[in-house]
Amino acid sequence: MREYLAAPRPGLDLRQHYGHHQSPAIRAGGLIFCSGMLPVDPETGERRHGTLTSEAHVIFGNLKLLLGSAGSSLDRLAQVHALIYDSIEYDVLNRVYRQYVASGPPARTVWAVQIEAGFKVQIDAVAAA
Amino acid sequence: MSVRRKIVSSPHDARGVGTSAAASEAVRGGDFLFVSGLTATDPQSGMRMPGTTASETRQILSNLKQLLKRAGSSFDKIVKVNVLLHSMLEAPNMNEVHVQFFPDPPPARTVCGARLPDGMKVMIECTALA
Repeated sequence: MREYLAAPRPGLDLRQHYGHHQSPAIRAGGLIFCSGMLPVDPETGERRHGTLTSEAHVIFGNLKLLLGSAGSSLDRLAQVHALIYDSIEYDVLNRVYRQYVASGPPARTVWAVQIEAGFKVQIDAVAAA
Repeated sequence: MSVRRKIVSSPHDARGVGTSAAASEAVRGGDFLFVSGLTATDPQSGMRMPGTTASETRQILSNLKQLLKRAGSSFDKIVKVNVLLHSMLEAPNMNEVHVQFFPDPPPARTVCGARLPDGMKVMIECTALA
């Protein structure tokens, strides 16, 4: 079965704040599929633009809240797509990324793409439920 | 433990002419159905149908609906959608069409801007429960 996972904090419901037609996360087949996580304030939904590093800190904080509310955690991440605005920041991404997946990091692909609203990073994750 | 992997084939490939040999339209693995990135094509001829972001999105989702049906799945079983757009400025135009196609609650989704083949404006891939 496919199970809707609600936003654990009001700011993390991007559908409500920005009209994105997506659920925060879906649980199915023993996995949790998260919508692309953005650096928004978890309480207000306000965009938190900054450096790639500061944006990544906000994103991982939000991802931790989302996975935690679903009984999972950052330690249970299986696959991550890290989207960054320019591959020149690859090393910067790794420096901050490492802090959140200290032991046994998940499979990962880094894409240099255009991210909404001029953000510098977006994290797309699948975790074990 | 046996690993189930099954190719989902179709009479008219929804990904366009010339790609048939390189990728399956969809592959079932375990509980999931993994669908290749689709661009706007005519389901009969397989020819690409370039248009606006909205028209391409509509065409892709119509084709996806048929594809899922053939594979024994459906829109309400989609768990994750990845959308690639030629420009993120067009995201609202894609989103409006999604509202018409996807059920409530919608699947999880990630949208990004990328360079797509043959000047197409939209590509959509998804994972669904089989």
